[in-house]
Amino acid sequence: MIENHKIVVENLNLYYGKKKALNNVSIEIPSNKVTALIGPSGCGKSTFLRALNRMNDLIDGVKIEGKVLLDELDIYNKNIDVVELRKKVGMIFQKSNPFPKSIYENVAFGPKINGITDKKKLDEIVETSLLRSALWDEVKDDLNKNGLSLSGGQQQRLCIARALAVDPEILLMDEPASALDPISTTKVEDLIFELKKNYTIIIVTHNMQQAARVSDYTAFFYMGKLIEFGETNKIFTSPSNKQTEDYIRGRFG
Amino acid sequence: MQLHFSQEIENLKTSLIKMASIVDEQVDKVITSLNTGDVELCKGIKSKDIEIDRYDNLIQTQCENILALFHPVASDLRLVMSAIMINNNLERCGDIAVNISQRIKKAGNERSLISESQIIDMARIAQEMLKNSIDSFIKNDTELASKVITSDEKVDKLNKQIFNFLVSRMQSNNELIEACTHLVVMSRHIERMADHATNIAENLVFYVDAQIIAHRKKLERNGN
Repeated sequence: MIENHKIVVENLNLYYGKKKALNNVSIEIPSNKVTALIGPSGCGKSTFLRALNRMNDLIDGVKIEGKVLLDELDIYNKNIDVVELRKKVGMIFQKSNPFPKSIYENVAFGPKINGITDKKKLDEIVETSLLRSALWDEVKDDLNKNGLSLSGGQQQRLCIARALAVDPEILLMDEPASALDPISTTKVEDLIFELKKNYTIIIVTHNMQQAARVSDYTAFFYMGKLIEFGETNKIFTSPSNKQTEDYIRGRFG
Repeated sequence: MQLHFSQEIENLKTSLIKMASIVDEQVDKVITSLNTGDVELCKGIKSKDIEIDRYDNLIQTQCENILALFHPVASDLRLVMSAIMINNNLERCGDIAVNISQRIKKAGNERSLISESQIIDMARIAQEMLKNSIDSFIKNDTELASKVITSDEKVDKLNKQIFNFLVSRMQSNNELIEACTHLVVMSRHIERMADHATNIAENLVFYVDAQIIAHRKKLERNGN
């Protein structure tokens, strides 16, 4: 069914102390596609998302078993450089969180940390990233304006530009449009559609219609387990599993 | 939200069942009239059809509201899609009952021609198909729906036989041309009614099994 896998997860178990948050999850996430993770609160979808760039490492008492292979390399291998990993795997959060700096500095921040000092090169990265995040036309004459002065929707696209600036391969999005108005939501959704040409995108959303609109594949999580994974049009028209059907029809969760 | 949605779906189903029972009644009247020669039974068929048309509009509005307000998915979406299609097919059956009643008024007294042509046999099968298709929808019974779909072939075959019979009668007796023409048209109407019953049954299978079975045979014959 799926030809190229960007991420292959094998028997992933994740514990917060004694609580098992992910239970034997195995999934193969396709390259250059949008995969939506859906499920009721506490089902493990955000935990799973964070496991893909080792964000859970920052939480005390987390224990992880199983494998997460990114391009066939296990990201939980001792020799993996987590900073390098997170360059490859960018993340966009529910609430936009630009730095209290200029628009330009927000986008140039990552490349600068990575050692790029050439002004011309930085200008180019800032422009390309803002173009790709569909914000360029709105801010090109105002790059020195503080990022926090932008609207909510613009701030979220600035955060996407910031994530793109370090040239990732994968974008993890945790409810990226849940705090946005319908117009900004449409812009972010259009952006996701455009970005999948160059990136593998994994998005957590509580909005069923958004999952249906933006994703190629959908994974339904329930109580830490991956219940069903498949093409989005199949999941939303005739899911194989009764729990999936009940959830997408709004029967529980 | 869930309660509200369930209520809307129940209202939609109720409208469809009410509409179906009027259609069933109308068809029963015209087929009985054809069978018995009692043309009086055809009176009021046309005026009653307005009730069916009202349900047609009501159901369309109900479906539109459900789609716009609740964004149903999976089996809920298939139910609304099927409801739109079934509504359309029922409305057409209502019109066909009117068309048949008009032909009966013109040629209903040609008793021997009617009985020899097998048109009554075909009408009984088509009526049974329509009844069963409605029942299959009410009971979510895919087996009954399959029975309806299988019967369509019998009707198609009879329609051809009736056509050939009526043409031969016209060739042998000029005076029968007008009556036979009415019966050819009537036969065609009955055949269309069976097609609509088949469509209803196919839509029920789509709703219950998530399978599109319409045109399957034709597509298979063409290698698709």
